[in-house]
Amino acid sequence: MFGDLQERELIREFVRQLTAKYGRAYWVERAKSKGHLDEIWHELGKAGYLGVTVPEEYGGSGTSMTRLAILMEELCTQGVPLLFLVITTAMAAIPIARHGNEELKQRYLPAIADGSKKFCFAVTEPDAGSNSFNIRTFAKQEGDYYVIKGQKVFISGYDQAQHVLLVARTTPADQVKEKRHGISLLVVDTNAPGLSAHPMDTQIFAPERQFALYFDEVRVPRANLVGEEGRGFRALFDALNAERITVAAMAVGLGRFALQKAVEYAKVRKVFDKPIGAYQGLAHPMAIARTHLELASLMTHYAAHVFDAGQDAGMYANMAKYAGAEAGIEAVDIAIEVHGGSGFTGEVDVITVWPMARLLRTVPVAREMILNYVAEHVLGLPRSY
Amino acid sequence: MKLLVPIKRVPDPATTIQVRPDGTGIVTDNIKWVINPFDEIAIEEALRIKERLGSGEVVLVTIGEKSWQEQLRTGLAMGADRAILVVNDKPLDTLAIARVLAKVVADEKPDLVIMGKQAIDDDSNQVGQMLAELLGWPQATFASKVEISDSVCTVVREVDGGLETVQFPLPAVITTDLRLNEPRYASLPGIMKARKKEIKEIPVENLGLDLAPKLKIKALKAPPKRQAGRKVSSVQELVHLLHTEAKVI
Ligand SMILES: Cc1cc2nc3c(=O)[nH]c(=O)nc-3n(C[C@H](O)[C@H](O)[C@H](O)COP(=O)(O)OP(=O)(O)OC[C@H]3O[C@@H](n4cnc5c(N)ncnc54)[C@H](O)[C@@H]3O)c2cc1C
Repeated sequence: MFGDLQERELIREFVRQLTAKYGRAYWVERAKSKGHLDEIWHELGKAGYLGVTVPEEYGGSGTSMTRLAILMEELCTQGVPLLFLVITTAMAAIPIARHGNEELKQRYLPAIADGSKKFCFAVTEPDAGSNSFNIRTFAKQEGDYYVIKGQKVFISGYDQAQHVLLVARTTPADQVKEKRHGISLLVVDTNAPGLSAHPMDTQIFAPERQFALYFDEVRVPRANLVGEEGRGFRALFDALNAERITVAAMAVGLGRFALQKAVEYAKVRKVFDKPIGAYQGLAHPMAIARTHLELASLMTHYAAHVFDAGQDAGMYANMAKYAGAEAGIEAVDIAIEVHGGSGFTGEVDVITVWPMARLLRTVPVAREMILNYVAEHVLGLPRSY
Repeated sequence: MKLLVPIKRVPDPATTIQVRPDGTGIVTDNIKWVINPFDEIAIEEALRIKERLGSGEVVLVTIGEKSWQEQLRTGLAMGADRAILVVNDKPLDTLAIARVLAKVVADEKPDLVIMGKQAIDDDSNQVGQMLAELLGWPQATFASKVEISDSVCTVVREVDGGLETVQFPLPAVITTDLRLNEPRYASLPGIMKARKKEIKEIPVENLGLDLAPKLKIKALKAPPKRQAGRKVSSVQELVHLLHTEAKVI
């Protein structure tokens, strides 16, 4: 379990070398200008790391959430969160590899693995966030095509992606027995005629932006269907579990990044005669934050292990996402506190981590919905909604 | 072509080194160990030579404790084919290291030994030269460019005040300088393959060599803290102080 320790150390070493070149300063510069991160993405592709969720026959190194979690955690520990590792590497590659037809796999997987193509993932709608089965975007079959109408919101990275992995209804909700039925996954090109997008006013300090997407009679070939028509929830669950594990790793890494800054500062900053790190009022919260980060990391790698073993990782992926997000927030919060007023400056660069760390409590799935899942599916309590 | 690359484990150049209070060595708790950066350049060069020639074998060797496997594994992940760990936990001086390497060379019969010009921990800059002498092979130290054709090797060396080009037949020993190349990252497939590559362990006692140190480290001391400077108010005052106080002019 937890992957081969030496392999893990080698992946971390790779990330440290890579971020020596494309590190936090590079990322911050792109976050300020809302620019792309093509250079580091290209390097990751060249060195084979974007194939971490792609089977070997399609140019990858075999699907491994364990390795992806290590990669993400370490990149974020170095202050370089790459959102596309969530939305392309986890959420697009895995459903396509597991559920896509041969043509789709040939067309997209090698390009994901070498970094030449990126996907964004579109499920959320104005009336379907936590209640994702409420989606109304509809893909109507017409001959060899689907014709798509509807709207999506908060779609990250649309402007940098070549394709959208779209979750749409192929049967209206009132014509299916269970709400999760009648949902399908489709690959749509971001430049498809009839598809337009507007940037949204999300205030996350990161290079990636969010977009509202409008589908006005967008035609895609039937062959672009991922998995069975109307049974898209299977592929969707794979995508969402992979997403939760990757996001947990991201939250843990960001927490480590902020906390390590605080620790260094607490060793040298003297307010009265001793370094502030000697005060238990700060030392204990930092020690607790570190402990919670390690616990969350452990759960993340356990969830990845269960996922890689081909078992249902839902329970652990949800718990990891909860634990990761909470630990990340706790760590960033104490890191700000330790820095006092300078914790709020761009130079110290911890307040800049706060929006993203805080985001991960609510997105991609809100804390309340995770706890609902655990209450209902793990504890067997009755459902209230 | 068979290329042998000796490597050494050293503290990460980014770590702050502390000398043990008794002066017998450095504090090793919490130190991150890495491949000596010059040796990493040597691995990269060996891999490039192999790639250019289209065939060959890159063999790594290190002399140290069992845990030095980690650095060998990193080199294997970069693409080296196999590795040898001469297991030793006693202090060895540069000549002893060169003797062990000469023995490994005798067994492995490489066409080229390529190694760092010095290790960044003790900065001795001796082993490559000693090894070439023990083997009776040509040597080219401080290489900034290496070309090989038909068992003739051309090396551009970085020397004081310029560059020197030397040509010699193989087998030979080359030591690498900083500007020779930029070492590659260990790719993910490389890391996965490295797990299955062989690391042969040879206890140093089995080599039957006289390794008694000729060199003894008496004590290590951190360099003295720099004193704070002093501001002077005029050029006249500066000249005056340099003359009367520092007595340098
Ligand atoms: C920066 C950012 C990036 C995003 N990127 C993407 C993306 O790339 N692709 C994509 O498809 N979506 C994306 N999203 C959307 C995100 O997944 C949703 O915002 C999220 O799922 C929450 O949905 P909602 O916003 O509709 O909130 P709502 O569902 O309206 O929830 C509002 C609140 O009510 C609570 N709540 C709802 N139901 C219950 C219940 N039964 N019990 C208790 N509490 C409940 C929720 O927990 C939440 O606190 C992104 C959002 C943001 C902000």
